[in-house]
Formats: sequence, C-alpha cells, structure tokens
Amino acid sequence: MDQQAQQAARGWARLSEDAALRSRWGERVRTLNAALNALIQFDPESREQQWQRPAGDLEHASPPSRLTGLPFVVKDNIAVADYGLTCGSNLLRHLQSPYTATAVARLQRAGSRVVGKANLDEFGMGSSSQHSAFGGVVNPWDAGVVAGGSSGGSAVAVAAGMVPFALGSDTGGSVRQPASFCGVYGLKPTYGAVSRFGLVAYASSLDVIGIVADGAELARAVFEVMRGVDEWDQSSIEVAPDDARAGGSDATPDAAPTVGIPRSALSDLDPAVAEALALCESRLQEIGCKTVNVELATLEYVAPAYYVIATAEASANLARFDGIRYGNRSSQVAGAAEELVLGSRSAGFGQEVKTRILVGTYVLRAGFQEQYYQRAQRIRTLVRRDVDRALERCQLLLLPTYPVPPFKVGGGGLDEFQQKQVDAYTCVANLSGHPALAFPVTISDGLPIGMQLMAPPFAEDRLFSIAGRLERKWPVQRAPGALTMDDLVPAEG
Amino acid sequence: MTVAIPSSWVTHVGLEIHVQLLTNSKVFCACRNSYGDPANSNVCPVCLGYPGVLPALNQEAATKAYLIADALESSLSPEVSFERKNYFYPDLPKNYQISQYAVPLGSGGRFTFECDGDEKTLRIREVHLEEDAGKMIHVADVSLLDYNRAGTPLVEVVTQPDLRSGEQAEQFLIAFRSLVRYLGVCDGNLDEGSLRCDANVSVSGSESELGTKVEVKNLNSFKFVRAAINFEASRQAEELATGNSVRSETRLWNENRDVTESMRVKETDSDYRYFPEPDLPPYPLADEFFAAVKQRSVELPLARRRRFTAAYSLGARQAAFLTAEPDTARFFEACVERGADAGAVARWLAGEVQRLLHQRHETLTSSSLTPARLTELLSLIESGEINGKIAKQVLAATLATDRDPRLVVEQEGLKPVTDTEALEAVLEEVIAAHPQVQAQLARDDNKPVGFLVGQVMQRTQGQADPAAIHSLINARMARVQQR
Repeated sequence: MDQQAQQAARGWARLSEDAALRSRWGERVRTLNAALNALIQFDPESREQQWQRPAGDLEHASPPSRLTGLPFVVKDNIAVADYGLTCGSNLLRHLQSPYTATAVARLQRAGSRVVGKANLDEFGMGSSSQHSAFGGVVNPWDAGVVAGGSSGGSAVAVAAGMVPFALGSDTGGSVRQPASFCGVYGLKPTYGAVSRFGLVAYASSLDVIGIVADGAELARAVFEVMRGVDEWDQSSIEVAPDDARAGGSDATPDAAPTVGIPRSALSDLDPAVAEALALCESRLQEIGCKTVNVELATLEYVAPAYYVIATAEASANLARFDGIRYGNRSSQVAGAAEELVLGSRSAGFGQEVKTRILVGTYVLRAGFQEQYYQRAQRIRTLVRRDVDRALERCQLLLLPTYPVPPFKVGGGGLDEFQQKQVDAYTCVANLSGHPALAFPVTISDGLPIGMQLMAPPFAEDRLFSIAGRLERKWPVQRAPGALTMDDLVPAEG
Repeated sequence: MTVAIPSSWVTHVGLEIHVQLLTNSKVFCACRNSYGDPANSNVCPVCLGYPGVLPALNQEAATKAYLIADALESSLSPEVSFERKNYFYPDLPKNYQISQYAVPLGSGGRFTFECDGDEKTLRIREVHLEEDAGKMIHVADVSLLDYNRAGTPLVEVVTQPDLRSGEQAEQFLIAFRSLVRYLGVCDGNLDEGSLRCDANVSVSGSESELGTKVEVKNLNSFKFVRAAINFEASRQAEELATGNSVRSETRLWNENRDVTESMRVKETDSDYRYFPEPDLPPYPLADEFFAAVKQRSVELPLARRRRFTAAYSLGARQAAFLTAEPDTARFFEACVERGADAGAVARWLAGEVQRLLHQRHETLTSSSLTPARLTELLSLIESGEINGKIAKQVLAATLATDRDPRLVVEQEGLKPVTDTEALEAVLEEVIAAHPQVQAQLARDDNKPVGFLVGQVMQRTQGQADPAAIHSLINARMARVQQR
C-alpha cells in the first residue's frame, strides 16, 4: 500500500481504538444513510463488543494485517451470522442468517469488522438498485441518478465514505457497474478465485463475490485475504500466487504492459464515455503502457447468451424460496402445499425477479434447450476463446464499464430491454471467467465515469498494479458530501 | 382378481431400485446419515437448502456408488458429473434434486442370479448417484416435514425389462439385496426403505416387443413386489384380451386390497428441465480412486455359492443358505478353517443354530456364538464326548451364558453316561418296574426296546448314549435266551 492509502487505513483503524470516535462515526453514517438508503441494516452500537475483542481472540485469527480494525459492509445477499439475509426481497425480509460466508469469515479473521448489510437489487437482479423491497439506493453524486446495480448499496457506502470497502456480488457486472456509477473501485475476481459459499446464488456459474473499495491497493489487500480454495465450494480453485504472477506485470513492477482495446467492438459509445476512454488511453501511454487494437467480435452475442444462462440457473436457484422452511409464508390458509408455495412466491418476489424466473423456466423446457440454453453455452465457449485470443496480443484489456454515463432514476431513456443490452461490456468477463477491475477515470457533467481492465485468469495483481499507478498519478475525486475520517477527529491544538 | 395369463402374452418387467448408501455423513454436507433419529435432528443449512449454501461431494458416497456399478459390470464413468432435476415438492429443500442425467457413473452392465432353479442374467441400464428427499407425514389435517433423510446418498439402479414375472422380480431383488449387503454399501431393509423398488410392467404379444408401460409403486416387501407385478400383468393381459388398451400411468399397490390402483395418468413425460449442476463441476477421478474401488470389491454371492458347492461338496440349498448373508458365509468358512467338517457346520448353521438365534432374536454376529465355539462343539461330538442331543443343550447354554462349549460340559456335568455298570443298573430298575416288559423280553419279543431306551434316557436326563443302551438290551436278551 502506498503512503496515502496507509494513512487512510490508519484513520479507519482508529475506530477500533476509540469508542467516542465510533459513536460520532455511527451518527454520521446514519445521517448519510437516511438520504442515500445504501444500508438495509446498520447497528454497530448493538455490536460494540466486537471492537473490544482483539482479532487475536478469534479462532484461527491471522496475524494483524493491513485490514485489522477496518469496518466494512456486506451486500445483503451474502451470509453473515446474526445478521439479516434479505437479498432485498420481501420474501426474506425477516430471515436471519445461521452462518457466515467463507469470504466474510476470512476478512473477520484478518481483523476486519462487519458493520452492516448493503441494499441491492432483489437477489442481485438489476443494474440500478431500484428493484429492492427496501427502496432504491441514491447516488451521492446526484440524487436524480441511479447508483447502478445490483451492488448499489455497497458502492454508495464506499463512495459516501461510510466504510473504506464493501463486499458485493458480480454476476453480470453488479460490482463494476455501480462502482463506476459512484466513482469507486470495483473488482470482479476470476471465477473460482474466491469461495462462493455464503453468496446467495443468482446464476451459479457466473456469480462471484466482488470488492468495492476506495482505492486499488485496498482492493488488493482485501482480495488477498478472501481468495483461495474452500472445501465448501467445489468450484473454488487454489492458484499459487507465483503461478498467477508468472508473466504478469508484477514480476517487474515498473514494466509497462501492453493494453489491448477492442475498439471495433465498442459501438454506440456515449460521447462522454468515448472521451473518458480516450483520456484513459492517453494516461496509460503516459505511464509507459503501449496500447493496441484487438478484436472481440463475439461481444455482440454476450448479452443474449448471458441472459439465457443467468435466467436458466436463476429459475432453479430461486426455487428453494417457497416459504416452507424459512422466509415469509403466504398468510392465506393453504389447503395444499402447492397453494402455500404459490402464495408465498407470488407475494414475496418482485416483478424483475418473476420475469427472470419465467424466462429461465422457458429456456430450459424440454425441446427448447437446444435452441436457447445449449446455444448460449456454445456462445459462452466462443466468448472465452475470443477473450483468451485477445489477451495473447496484450497483458490487459481496456474497455468501458458501461456505454453510457450513470442514468436517471426511471431508466434515463433506457427501457428494461436496453438496460440489459448495455450490460455486454461487463457480462463478457462473467461469461469468460476472467478477472476485471472497474476504476474511476473522470467526472463528466458532475457524474463519474469508469473504465475496466481485464486480465488473464488469476492475474488480478496486474489489475491492481496498473489501476494503482493511475490512481497515484491522477488522484480520484471524492463524491460530494463524502465522509472522511478527518471530519470525525476533533481538530487538535 | 386372478386371471391366468394366456401363454401368448409375455410380461416385461424392469425395476428401478433405490439403494440408500451406508455412509457416516450425507452426500453433500457433513450431517449424520442415520435412520430413526428424532425428526429434523440431522439437518444443517446445506441440507435444508438455506440461501447461499453449496454442495460438497462426499467421497465415501462416490466410492460406494462406484462399488455397486463395478459389481454390476457397468462401464464406469471416468469423471463424476451432476445435473439438477427440477420439480417442486415440500420434502425437497431446494426444489431441485441433484442427480445424474447426461453421464451416469455406471452405464450398461448385467447381473446374474439364481432364478427358477437356473441362472438368469438381467441387463442393467444405468447406475447413478443422487440425493434423497426428506419425508412429508400427514397427520389429521396438517402435514409435517422431517428433513433427516434430505441429502442422504442414494444410488438408483435401473434395469432393462428382462424379468418375466413377479416371481423372477422377487428372486432378483433377493439376490440384489444380498449383493449390496456383501458390498457393505446398504443394509437392504425394504421395510425401513433403505432399499426401495418401483416396477415398470408391460404385457405384449412377443418377447421382443414391449407393451404400454405402467409404473407400479409402493412395493415395500418382497411379497408385494411379486404380488403387485403378477396382479398388474394379469390386469393388463385381461385388458388386452377384452380388446381394450393399457393406459400409460403410475399405479400404487394397495396392500390391503391386493390390487394396484391408478395414481396418475402420464399424459407426457414430466419435464424436469435437467441442466448441468454448476455448483459441482465435472470431477475427474484419479487412478487411485478406481484402484481403491477395485480393492474394496468382494467375492459376490453367486460366485461364492458356486465356489461353496464345488469346494465343500454342499447341496444347492445349503450353499444358498450359507451365502445369502455375508456374515453366515464368513462364519462358515472360519469354522472350516479351524478344521470343522464342512457338512456338519452347514447342517448346524442351517438347523439348530438358526432355530435358537431366531428364538433368541439374535443374529450370528450379535450372539455369543463364535466360529471357535461352534468348531469346539462339533469336535466334542466327533470325539464322542457328547452326543447330538447333549450338543443341542450345550449350544443353548453357550448362547445363553456366553461360555465355551467345553466349559459348559464340564461345569454342568453334561458328559454322557458311558459307565456300563451304572447304565445296566438303571436298565434293570426300569425292567423291574415294568413286569410286562420283563415278560416280553423273556419271550424274545423286542417290541419294548424303544420304550426301554426312552425310559433309560429319561432317568439319565438324556446323558446316556442310546446306542450303548441298545447294546445293553441286546446283550441282556442274548443272555436270557442262552439260559
């Protein structure tokens, strides 16, 4: 971590030493949240004892790390024991999680403290954080603009300075797109790098737990703690750091990697986004990177293939929510089990979730699988090969996170279908499994615009290194009204 | 209804057998896999389908499933892969079942069993591994759910429709149960549901062509398997004979009325919307895994039966009895290894031992009888130290009091009365007490010999050797004649 980041981390770590500071911080967060609706649950006062308990007391605690004492919030579709696990849904409004996700437990063992649960699009389905049973999330840059989604609460919590980092989930861009909309960093790790145990599944083969952070180096520190194989997730993979770094930019930190831009695939960019891309390219060149054009012809098939696979898996993943074992049960007296299940699901799920379950059920029907599901899987294979091929010519890929700037609440001229079409830039990394990091580039018309870098599988280090170098040279502007630790510390002398 | 099936009709029966694997934990979580525990005591977030949990495959379940497939001579898949089978039912926590569809772990195969006094080979279609569902219990107007069974490992064996009658199905199932017990993968209790069976029954005009298939469920005993299939075949034959057609449907065996009853008509095949289980990526199995499976495979019942018949000169029924349960076969061979006579061991195990165990509600392994003790008992008989009648008393005492047979004989003075003078004295007492017998003997009339032997045995509490009494009586009669 560079000096500035270390200083910031020290500021946050003071929370664990100073109860009065905690109290002032709690108040400020509450005030911010009243306006932004980023957190569904925030009650650090009732969990005061967690600050008294040194990290060393925790079972299997790691030695003090850069994360010791840092507070973080967790998207409310990731399990933390004794917290709710609403998934932004009416159906799970009263569910308490009986267990903790592996990724969260690893951060806790490293000394970080969970302080709240973040708002989201119901079950991670959406790109605006407006589809939540707990109300929409407000973007701190402009209350009339969406926060992005589905991890909008996590992105806003970091952008507004409530916490230095937050966990989100990224199935088709759900960490990176809100991070870009809010002017913060958002990592989608390689599929399999971080255990999914405890992440409520939307689309199991695409879901990953991601990180929102206020800096690239903090994102790296969080990732290093979370990553690694987990016996409870058979899709998790252990890759020795040496393997991941082999051939990467980190072997020689000052080396300038070649960055590929799939220019011909980036049609219909909003002028502001095109401008940000050009700015980012010139900055990369300025720090010594070479940029080249690469092909990514399959990008136009990404969104349809993504939605077929995601909805198919969602139709099965969300079948368990029937109101029988947990969750809100239909209050109507049921004559038969089917009535109870039907009533609970009809009343519990929001419209967007119902739409996706129906689409997923449709594409999996016997006789239709070849036309939809199997075809989408073949496209997925082609997309993966396409990205691999592009990465043969360069060490990193650069592309916008989203083709338009943060849009207005109510769709900003994009209907629901168009909102899905424009997910292609982020979905590509979910289909291919590659890691991708969204980072802030510029402010245009008062709204942040971000780009993303993609790297070969398990080469996350390359992403943090380049984004970190850009950050140090061109510091990132904070959201208006964002809380800083300095605000909470009474002026000395 | 009993209708003789015209000889022109051929019955085709295929079975779908569900084998509950004996493992310590469930197939995708660490919960105990145990029958009969208090409801919902063996559950966790994983097997209750809580949000966010993932399945992790239990290696022991995979090994035992492959053991079954290997014993059935199936071709073994080099990697395990799973699909989701989607359907809503309250006893299914995730509302999908993790099962195998595209590539079952065992494809094809065959199983040879003793059938109608001959050997029959049945073709196996596939062997796959899946998770079991919980149980829904209806009490008055409420339904209760017990998820202890949810997520326990289940192997489904699907046979080809090669069986021709209820009797054949029953014989196959008895042999199959013996197989899974031999492999140590299932306890094979039909009544507890650890072995479950559905039958697909059809009737047609020829061997080569199947009729319209009817699925028969609720077959939880060997007797019901036989009776339900025979009933169903007769019912279908009658339908066809009277010019009607058979409906494709699922029927339930009603054990109170001895009939099958329609449960639901199959308009089309249910659409389970199978797709690959993304939480369990195809898992390639190492050579060591298959080596371990081969190492754990055992001599199967039929092979053992053939070997017993040849090696120990046993009759077919004796060999069948000894090899039906692996415990019996092991016990038998342990006795023979200790030098006991194979024929004698077989007779005692099938006779007095089984009778006493049954009476005492014990099994061979749970009782205090060991191969060493049975061998000792047989050697006491062979050496003439005790006779067969005493041996039965000794065996009973050994079982009841956990003592070695020799010790029983010594402590209870059960040695036969071989003292000729003492026996002769008893004999004279008996004769003296029955003047009529005395007269008969004097006339060289041997009618009362049986009576005398019985009386002497009675007075010696069975410890006398009947042969010795016989020779004493003969000698006495010879003496009387000489006079």
